[in-house]
Amino acid sequence: MFKKILAFPRKLIGYITEINRTKATDMMSFEVNEMENLFAILLFGSFMGLPAPPAAMAIELLPYMENELRLMVSRADFAQDAIASVMDILHVD
Amino acid sequence: MKKIAFFMGKGGVGKTTISATVAYQLSRENKKVLIVSLDPAHNLGDVFEKKLTNEKRPLGANLDGVEIDLSAWVARYLKESRNEIRSNYLYHSAINLENYVNILKYSPGTEEYAVLWAIEYIYREYAAAYDIIIFDTPPTALTLRFLAMPSITSLWVGQLSKMREKILKKRQTILAVNPKASIVRNRPLEDGGDEDVPVQGATDKKNDKIYIKLSGISARLTELQRLFSHESYLSVVVNPDTLSLSEALRIREELDRLGVHINSVCLNKTSAEGAGRENVEKNFGGCPVFMSPLLTEGVRAVSDLSVIDVEGVKNDLKAAE
Repeated sequence: MFKKILAFPRKLIGYITEINRTKATDMMSFEVNEMENLFAILLFGSFMGLPAPPAAMAIELLPYMENELRLMVSRADFAQDAIASVMDILHVD
Repeated sequence: MKKIAFFMGKGGVGKTTISATVAYQLSRENKKVLIVSLDPAHNLGDVFEKKLTNEKRPLGANLDGVEIDLSAWVARYLKESRNEIRSNYLYHSAINLENYVNILKYSPGTEEYAVLWAIEYIYREYAAAYDIIIFDTPPTALTLRFLAMPSITSLWVGQLSKMREKILKKRQTILAVNPKASIVRNRPLEDGGDEDVPVQGATDKKNDKIYIKLSGISARLTELQRLFSHESYLSVVVNPDTLSLSEALRIREELDRLGVHINSVCLNKTSAEGAGRENVEKNFGGCPVFMSPLLTEGVRAVSDLSVIDVEGVKNDLKAAE
């Protein structure tokens, strides 16, 4: 009985902790995504007319860049409404 | 004796003749020699009256030859990339990327990259079996570009590696605070991963495929740089005319900038009295200048290679440590 009474606050504390942890890392996750996006842009800069390393070197890394390429494409959308995305991260409704 | 020798210079100065002669005469002194043509306008086979290919073929006792087919090397390298893309990409987007890979053979820089990997392959496969590998190089522009490629690419690789390290450190920090953070989850879709959440990579250098690949490229480039600056004997072939001398001076200037130094100058097609020697010596102060008088009838048969005077450069090459 006592255990059952304790289970609820324990769960609640668990949820609150998780929410706080997620909130705490949201901004850093955003930053990491941006860095990965930048990494992809630097590597594949020749695609868009930026100075870039030899294309052949970029191709060597291409097989492992799936996620970065997805991010780069999603960031292209994000660029249309950057303020909304920042507001979303800051949880401003 | 150095393991590798490059003969460079302006088109038409006689790089192929000099490199073929040095290779031929060294092989007759019981040195095991491999001669490799990097020039897309291959004519090394013509000198030895044999058809040369990407695979080494015997040209005489102690002498083998290879003509590097750059388009075959580019195709081979692109095929490897295409296979890796196929095995690593989860989505069918790889189909579009394959199309990109197909057109990459026309991309600037691909040829130089292919030359580099061809040199690396030749050195790795054959250095132990031969006393020396002699490279007959393409005209100056391509030669300088492939010699400069390791140091230029190293700069990029260094900066990209640093950036990758920062990304991995940030991922570690996020993981420490929030072990369930989507940024560091690593569950492929087929294992029940959520399609909305991108599959993320590793958090440390040992497991990050991109970092591992960058380190691999960096190690290969460092080895090539060492090969060019420490293991190679570089000789510039010039004629008594002003144009070839001006180009040779530009080669030296460019190589000095890359930390690669010229070992000697071969003054080819000169007169018996050594026309133009003084001028070359004045411009290449401190660098030995060796003369190869003009063979009036040109090279008509392989046996002519024993007549051309390359004593000076041959002895200098043998003495080079």
